[in-house]
Amino acid sequence: MVAQAAGALAAPAPLPWWRGRRGAVVAVAVGIVIAFFGWKSQVPWPAALTWNSLSHDLDNFQAWLSNNRNVPHPSVFFRAFNGIATFLDDLVGWLTSFFFKLTWAGTTALGTLVVLRFGGRRAALGVLTAFLLFAAMGLWDPVVRTFALTFASVSLSLLIGQPLGILAGRSDRFQRLVTPVLDAMQIVPAFAYLMPIVILFSVGPGAAVATTLIYAIPPAIRITALGIRGVPTNTVEAAEALGATRLQTLVKVQLPLARRMLLLSVNQTILFALSMVVIAGLIGGEGLGSVVTSGLYSDPAQALLAGAAIVVMAIALDRATEAMAIRTDPAQRHLTEGKRRTLRLYTAACATAVGLAVGLGYAFGAGSVWSRWTASDWLLARIQRVLDYVQSPTTFIFHITSPVGNFLVQYGLSPLRSFFVETPWPAMAFGLALIAFLLSGLRPAVTTLVMLAVIGLSNEWVNAMDTLSQVLVATVFTLLVGIPLGVWAAESTRARKTMRPVLDILQTLPQLVYIIPFIYLMPVSLVPGVLASVLYAAPVVIRLVEAGVREVSPHPVEAADSFGATRLQTLLKVKIPLARDAIMLGVNQGIIMVLAVVVIAGLVGSGALGYDVAQGLQQSLFGQGVLASVAILALGITLDRITQGRRRKRIELT
Amino acid sequence: MKVRAGGLAILVAIGVVALTAGGADAKQSACGTVTLNQQAWAGSEANTYVAKNVLEKIGCTVKITTITEVPVYQAMADGKTDAVLEDWGHVPQQQQYVAKQKTVVDEGPNGVTGVIGWYIPTYLMKAHPEFKTWKGLKGKESLFKSPESGSQGMFLGGDPSYQQKDKTLITALGLNLKFVSVGAEPAQVARWTQLYKQNKPVLFYWYDPQYLNAQYKLSQIQLPARFKGCKDDEKQGGNPKQYACAYPSYTLEKFFSAKFAKSGSPAVAVLKRFSWSNADQNSVAGAIAGQHVDPDKAAQKWIAANQAKVNKWLGK
Amino acid sequence: MADTPAALGHEIDRSGDPLIRVEGVWKIFGRHADRVIGTPDADLPRAELREKHGCVAAVRNVTFDVWPREVFVVMGLSGSGKSTLVRTLIRLIEPTAGRVEIAGKDVTAASQTELRELRRHTSSMVFQHFGLLAHRRVIDNVAFGLEIQGVPKAERLERAGKILRLVGLEDSGNQFPDQLSGGMQQRVGLARAFAVDPAVMLYDEPFSALDPLIRRDMQDEVIRLQHDTGKTMVFITHDLPEALRLGDRIAIMRDGAIVQLGTPEELVGSPADEYVENFVRDIPRSHVLTLRWIMRDARPGEADGPRLDVRTTVRNAIPVIVASERAVCAVEGDSVVGVVDREAVLTAIAGES
Repeated sequence: MVAQAAGALAAPAPLPWWRGRRGAVVAVAVGIVIAFFGWKSQVPWPAALTWNSLSHDLDNFQAWLSNNRNVPHPSVFFRAFNGIATFLDDLVGWLTSFFFKLTWAGTTALGTLVVLRFGGRRAALGVLTAFLLFAAMGLWDPVVRTFALTFASVSLSLLIGQPLGILAGRSDRFQRLVTPVLDAMQIVPAFAYLMPIVILFSVGPGAAVATTLIYAIPPAIRITALGIRGVPTNTVEAAEALGATRLQTLVKVQLPLARRMLLLSVNQTILFALSMVVIAGLIGGEGLGSVVTSGLYSDPAQALLAGAAIVVMAIALDRATEAMAIRTDPAQRHLTEGKRRTLRLYTAACATAVGLAVGLGYAFGAGSVWSRWTASDWLLARIQRVLDYVQSPTTFIFHITSPVGNFLVQYGLSPLRSFFVETPWPAMAFGLALIAFLLSGLRPAVTTLVMLAVIGLSNEWVNAMDTLSQVLVATVFTLLVGIPLGVWAAESTRARKTMRPVLDILQTLPQLVYIIPFIYLMPVSLVPGVLASVLYAAPVVIRLVEAGVREVSPHPVEAADSFGATRLQTLLKVKIPLARDAIMLGVNQGIIMVLAVVVIAGLVGSGALGYDVAQGLQQSLFGQGVLASVAILALGITLDRITQGRRRKRIELT
Repeated sequence: MKVRAGGLAILVAIGVVALTAGGADAKQSACGTVTLNQQAWAGSEANTYVAKNVLEKIGCTVKITTITEVPVYQAMADGKTDAVLEDWGHVPQQQQYVAKQKTVVDEGPNGVTGVIGWYIPTYLMKAHPEFKTWKGLKGKESLFKSPESGSQGMFLGGDPSYQQKDKTLITALGLNLKFVSVGAEPAQVARWTQLYKQNKPVLFYWYDPQYLNAQYKLSQIQLPARFKGCKDDEKQGGNPKQYACAYPSYTLEKFFSAKFAKSGSPAVAVLKRFSWSNADQNSVAGAIAGQHVDPDKAAQKWIAANQAKVNKWLGK
Repeated sequence: MADTPAALGHEIDRSGDPLIRVEGVWKIFGRHADRVIGTPDADLPRAELREKHGCVAAVRNVTFDVWPREVFVVMGLSGSGKSTLVRTLIRLIEPTAGRVEIAGKDVTAASQTELRELRRHTSSMVFQHFGLLAHRRVIDNVAFGLEIQGVPKAERLERAGKILRLVGLEDSGNQFPDQLSGGMQQRVGLARAFAVDPAVMLYDEPFSALDPLIRRDMQDEVIRLQHDTGKTMVFITHDLPEALRLGDRIAIMRDGAIVQLGTPEELVGSPADEYVENFVRDIPRSHVLTLRWIMRDARPGEADGPRLDVRTTVRNAIPVIVASERAVCAVEGDSVVGVVDREAVLTAIAGES
């Protein structure tokens, strides 16, 4: 009797792995590989199915824009843009000359004391160090210009982005509408729309601000929305239950309680804006960006130095805004009347000190004095020495890196590229769609097919497959590096603290500045591009995974401990599965970041879509640039859909 | 109260500074401010800085912008940049801005002749004299193999912003070469200089004037002679045979913003007369990019050594 | 319990109309909710409804009235729909169907402005996770409802101060929520709800997040406040002893529907079905049942035994019954309505195991 019952209760034997979904995916992949070997290069995308004239039409559109803009009496449409451009130019110009008038001494005092007052001693020390470094690098002039540009861009991004973010936080429909737009704004390379912006806004700080806005508004919106949604439900309900109007709830409850996130959005917007500095340099946004672009061709040491200045500015601003956010949190500060009075005195004292510094600055000509103290020649000489070493093929590093690079290309990247490019397009297209279906469902599969059709129609199939092969490799490596490091950072405070400055540098140092020297060490195509992608995308993945794993509830971890699990077991069986959402977000953002580097990769040997976009700008092939960008966007959407998995909607009941 | 008033006073003072900011600080001179645009490469930096230092001699204040090649036409149309001293022939831009809108003016050659072609290191030419013409490459393409070119030889393509037709040319000439695009010029330079330093064979798109030509000994491969109707713009498509000729020599031209050209500033005449040779440009560029001399200093050195030429520009 | 001093002195006003009327309220979550309502599909068990329509019926056809000064408890396990139900009363969640009337005003048909007015002046709510504003002082939190009404600062702070005294937190006014313990934070929540002087107070599992010892104190607090202020309360809980302790009437919910609605004794004494029976099984009946449940008619000659109020619980009556040789008379007011003897008591106690 017992045996029978036990038999009835016994679980059915589990399916072998190759029977389930995973097996199906592998089968499809094998199918594609067979198609490759069987019909290599024999079924390219049919020319009949391409929209050939699209490229020309787009070129004509740009010519039309230009011809209609540069007439003595342009239409209202163009005059409106002119007006905005002039306003932005003036704004940045005003900010620039304001800081110049304050002199280096005055600006340093202003910056340091403001941060001291609102952010504490540590942050103020960081800011002071940054100012000293700028002087030492001999880059004060471009730094001020870049700062003015960034300041204007960030202010406008927040002015536009935060209200929209609030709207997205309160309205699900708006959020659904706006998310794909934001994705596009972040994936479509700036190179693609640079010419139209230049035509509409002319050249100069105005165009630079406009370009930066496109890239910097999405984080402002996204993070603000996240903050609004993160306000505890009960608190919002309490306000509603007390009869608050929507405005009252927003102003008295949601905004104050979303404060942390709102300030994080400021912080991230600053970093995103700074990452556009180099592109801004191409269209007249003066400052460190143009030092980098002109240095790349003739003085790489100078470009590196300017890049380092960008990093210093980014880190200083990041730490300062973070410190100020924490310090001024009313929920933490518990301000009483007495405390408020003391703080007001403090502010007045700081303001006085700034005034004194400005005065001293004028008195001693401290605006120019610093140039005598600058160490830029010494710094440049040092950097040049390193570059000379890197550029010589006789060093022992070269003897290691060069063969490694050759091997990677010859036996890894190049064959993979051939596989993607030369597989008959039906096999590839339907194979990918099938994989999407197996992994994520019907809708993502349909989206995949549509996106691939768009790519084919715009005559970018070959280039897109080429780029796809590289993006896949880059993404895989990004995740292979990023997820473990993220987990490690979550587990070890020391690891996190050591990693932080490295991650900051990787996210803000203009990539061309360090990748081009790298080519000397690994003189092959494809690898530098992949490396640039991994180095740019991994920090984001690391940060997201670290945050996710750290926030896993301690209870299941405790439970695992109580069963005698080792650290590794707890990690693998509890923490990582529970941090799944954060890890998936990391995958998604990793893909976006890799795609964001496609154009830079094109400039260092990855060819394909990135090269086409760059060439589109630089040889005025607007159509080509747009189509290549659309292809990049399509790849992004495809990869996102395939990797999102099955999302189940949960309705919570109490 | 006192402290508050004091703090307020200081803030007002800063406010005053702020309000007076934005005022132009330009020196009032007969010449005024001239804005020259410097393109990405060292040669352009060279001619821009020499022009700058010459103009400063006649009392102009010179600003230098670093706007990239194509958008700079819009900058000239808007008068935000006054002159570009080295343009390699952007046909669509010239059609739009010069011919149609007349917002930009073509001010003629700057004296430098641009030569684009296929280059190999001189040590390779010495070892393989047959490479003097492209026919000598036939059958020997595998000499230029690289990890990414498989069994074919590698041809290193040029910067995406440069005119090139090598992909089509290779097909037209029937050579077993793979066109490998290595990205922007600094990346391409990294590739071929590394191979040069190792005495290895390398075949690449290259041009003069270029400052590296003084540091590295390069030889040009002769391509088929130019014939009537020979095409150079790959994007036009069509039968590859139409591209089977050498690159034309480019007369590099100066372009002024129409507003600047009509302004009557003394700088206009000087810049109109600006003209120098490939060697001149290469020497200054070599100083700036090769020896990392400060651009202003390099320019002044050249001016000091070439007073006669400079005087001609100044109309003396 | 039924014979705590508060309960005994607790007069529900059944003279006029009910203060809250809930008629046929439904709440179905899901995109096709409006298609399902009114059809027989709405009565499908939860799993099948989700399969067929992708909808979840959180509240099914709930009807009840609440009288002025009554403490009406809605009890159920998680997923029974009780928290959803209390939110439909002031339309924090919009009901899919049905009608709610509070103090004579139709809530379900009210405009946004009318609804807001109702929320500001007629009702208030206390939440499980307190819902306090971390960036404001305690006194500002208490005054928050008045702030929303537009009461000037001096006046609302004064009123808030008075309410703080009511809940015993007069010394904590200047502190911030994160400086208080859980129990104190919930007192602030209570104070905030009382400060707007509502007719109706809604409590959504207010003590679930507190530890048991504090919970009992808070229950006493609520009883005391109710007794002093006479507010009408709708109280949500999953804790049966709490429900029995506080409630005048209790509605037990399961899968969105009310399974039984009655006084504590009715629930304990005659559970409607096996589900309720399971629920009340562990409650000692003698602690809940009153003499009314176990009395029988008086036989001649028994009318002069010791007298106890008919609302006395069996447990509290035991000492008297044991001490007396004669049957005890249960009285209501002045008249004898029944008689209780030892046999009856023993039967009642025996039923407890």
